[in-house]
Amino acid sequence: MRWVKCARVLTCLTGAALCAASLAAQGVTNEMLKHPPRDSWPGFHGDYSGQRHSALTEINPRNVANMTLAWTFQTQQNGIVKSTPILVNGVMYFTTPDNIWAIDARSGHTLWHYTAPPNKAFHIGQRGVSIYKDKIYYMSSDAHLLAFEAKSGKVLWDVVVADSNKGQWATMSPLIVGNHVLVGASGDFDNLQGFLRSIDPETGATQWTWFATPPVGTPKTSSGGNIWMTGTYDPDLNLVYFGTGNPTPVLNGKVRPGDNLYTCSIVAINPDTGKLAWAFQPSPHDTHDWDAVEIPVIADASFGGVQRKLLMQASRNGYFFVLDRTTGKNLLTTNFGFVNWTLGVDKDGRPIPNPSKEPAPDGRLIAPDEGGMTNYRSPSFDPKTGLFIVSASPSFSLYFSKPADGAYGWSGADYSLWSKSVLEAIDYKTGKVRWSHELGRRAGSGVLTTDSGLTFTGDSSGNFLALDTATGKTLWHANAGAPIASSPITYELDGHQILLTSAGSVLYAWKLPQVSSVHSRNAVSSKK
Amino acid sequence: MKFPSKRMLLATCGLAGMLFLLHSGIDAQNSARPRPARVPSTVGSQGPMPVHAKYTAAQIDSGGVLFVQNCAFCHGKDAGGGESGPDLTRSKLVSSDKDGEAIGVVIRNGRPDKGMPRFNLADAEIVNLVAFIHSQQDKAMSQTGTRKGVDESDLHTGNAEAGKLYFEGPGGCTKCHSATSLAGVATRYTGLRLEEQMLYPRDVKSKVTVTTRDGHSRTGTLEYQDEFTIGLKDASGVYFSWPVDAIRFHVEEPVEAHVTAMKKYTDDDIHNVLAYIQTLK
Repeated sequence: MRWVKCARVLTCLTGAALCAASLAAQGVTNEMLKHPPRDSWPGFHGDYSGQRHSALTEINPRNVANMTLAWTFQTQQNGIVKSTPILVNGVMYFTTPDNIWAIDARSGHTLWHYTAPPNKAFHIGQRGVSIYKDKIYYMSSDAHLLAFEAKSGKVLWDVVVADSNKGQWATMSPLIVGNHVLVGASGDFDNLQGFLRSIDPETGATQWTWFATPPVGTPKTSSGGNIWMTGTYDPDLNLVYFGTGNPTPVLNGKVRPGDNLYTCSIVAINPDTGKLAWAFQPSPHDTHDWDAVEIPVIADASFGGVQRKLLMQASRNGYFFVLDRTTGKNLLTTNFGFVNWTLGVDKDGRPIPNPSKEPAPDGRLIAPDEGGMTNYRSPSFDPKTGLFIVSASPSFSLYFSKPADGAYGWSGADYSLWSKSVLEAIDYKTGKVRWSHELGRRAGSGVLTTDSGLTFTGDSSGNFLALDTATGKTLWHANAGAPIASSPITYELDGHQILLTSAGSVLYAWKLPQVSSVHSRNAVSSKK
Repeated sequence: MKFPSKRMLLATCGLAGMLFLLHSGIDAQNSARPRPARVPSTVGSQGPMPVHAKYTAAQIDSGGVLFVQNCAFCHGKDAGGGESGPDLTRSKLVSSDKDGEAIGVVIRNGRPDKGMPRFNLADAEIVNLVAFIHSQQDKAMSQTGTRKGVDESDLHTGNAEAGKLYFEGPGGCTKCHSATSLAGVATRYTGLRLEEQMLYPRDVKSKVTVTTRDGHSRTGTLEYQDEFTIGLKDASGVYFSWPVDAIRFHVEEPVEAHVTAMKKYTDDDIHNVLAYIQTLK
């Protein structure tokens, strides 16, 4: 029987195009990125929407408690895995700073492992690689974009995206759209110009660069606005959506009066031209390091009784926004935890910063803290229940800034006093929290939802959790014994659903218990 | 009108300045008293230079590269504070460290309770990191004039009388505390550390009572709690744990009143109460 099956696969291979979806080993197409096959997770968010919602239903609320370990992968490194793995054709690619692994998604067997040459840049995290056609794209800690041959891990080219000697570094998983690799960099310890760059996937040549802020040194303006999280994409409108980072100097707002556009903004950009279509600013004149880079989740759903093209963001500053993503018009602004830094919300839906809550020499008590009400950990949108589920961190911090702190880079100091974490299920139509689930002190896991009504995340004690999306009740857990700082993914392999999580430096693949055909065959042959 | 008028800002600054002068005066009187050898927790240009081991320029440079890669995001490129991590140039642990005996332990073990991971680095790498951190502290402390970062002298803008009224009145602090119970707190802690401790005291253990199904109960300090497991240490220091669904438990966390207070405080309230607390030496 075994050989008959193999023969069929070979026939299929020679039949080429017919098996394209599952066997296109050398070619991830734009179509695959738009509509990922069930047996793949080809980009940072899975698909382009940022919903982190899967159509898979084999693992469901009734059987999730039976989940068992399929395999683990030990990186045997110091760092915590913060990346979202991508999966194409049974091969999984994931990263930690200075490391990329390509592993067999059936067994965890290593196909190749790339280690970067020593480089002087922040190594705070790496959020994953991207794939297009037969190449893997990786942002190095020192802000180069490298292209690799997917099958071998051979470096094909290496281009400088930002000068790490000036203080920029990178963690981002590039967004592939059409014939563009879209990348940005971090760097708010120095006064630098934030940007989004489009790079040719074949040659590494720059196609266009969009700058978030005026050139450094332009009087009375801010620098910064670094773009360091993967954006989302609407193929129909042909717009990409990215959040931009905080202004610099970070805690000293006096030298940069006004809103400081386009820092702490959600921007809609045409990926072919690099032209800005619209922008919405969650944090005008930020002085608390609240990047607005959190995932701009897109969905087509009813709002106010009308079917609309929506964009939702739970922002680091503690506010949840719903926008019309065609125009950028604000539809809803509400806080999803205690905040004390605003004077209210203006007519355009933007929070109004309270000037007396800017960092001061004798300190200001601010909620949330600098890590924010949420951060890079991905939220999830469940279209069936209309719940936007986000890992929130209500918190308090003291913010200081005095003349001696200057007007370069951080320009002050801040100290977190207290925080906790709670998973919040926000009704996108009203902004009201329908249920919340305590996660302990400070959790770092993202969220995944599935069509079967499950929500996957993690708590601050290292527990992986599966919850009932409708109620927030725990249905399954397993303690990984290490902090979780990544977002779970799910995919189908050999006809069965797999949940993939990571904690510490280890990946864990989970599945339902099944009588595996491999086991039974081995059992039979061993009797011979 | 997102910003108040300049006049308002100036008025506020003026008032703060007056209070500052007032308190500098008090400081000047106090300075006649003998000072401790080194101000705890906030070292600065006012304290004596720490005694650090000597390192080569190559060690300091190499430590600088490791510092950028592993430490600078939280502690700042110059070790003077970054995102979420403290200013190491003002760290008491750093100033009392001679050749890595204290810093090395923190690097190897991390501070999981404060969010710092452990770093599995080679001994030579740790020595180089220590060399860099020492050099940054020496550099910062030998500065003259106003230093960046939070100084003790920045934290004297409040009014102790108003703070006492708030403490005894709307603050509700006297539900748990009194001047007597807090006596000496401003000697044990100073500067920013005192303010942090006032707003939300760290390392306060909660009390928990667990009652099992057969009606036995056990009380102790809460050692571990997640959604599934609860663990306590009894008076003799022995650890016990239970699955939460098998028992009933009651946690007493009086410290959580500080979280409620932080939702109510104005910044003036905080500075006034701090001024009052600063008198409880």
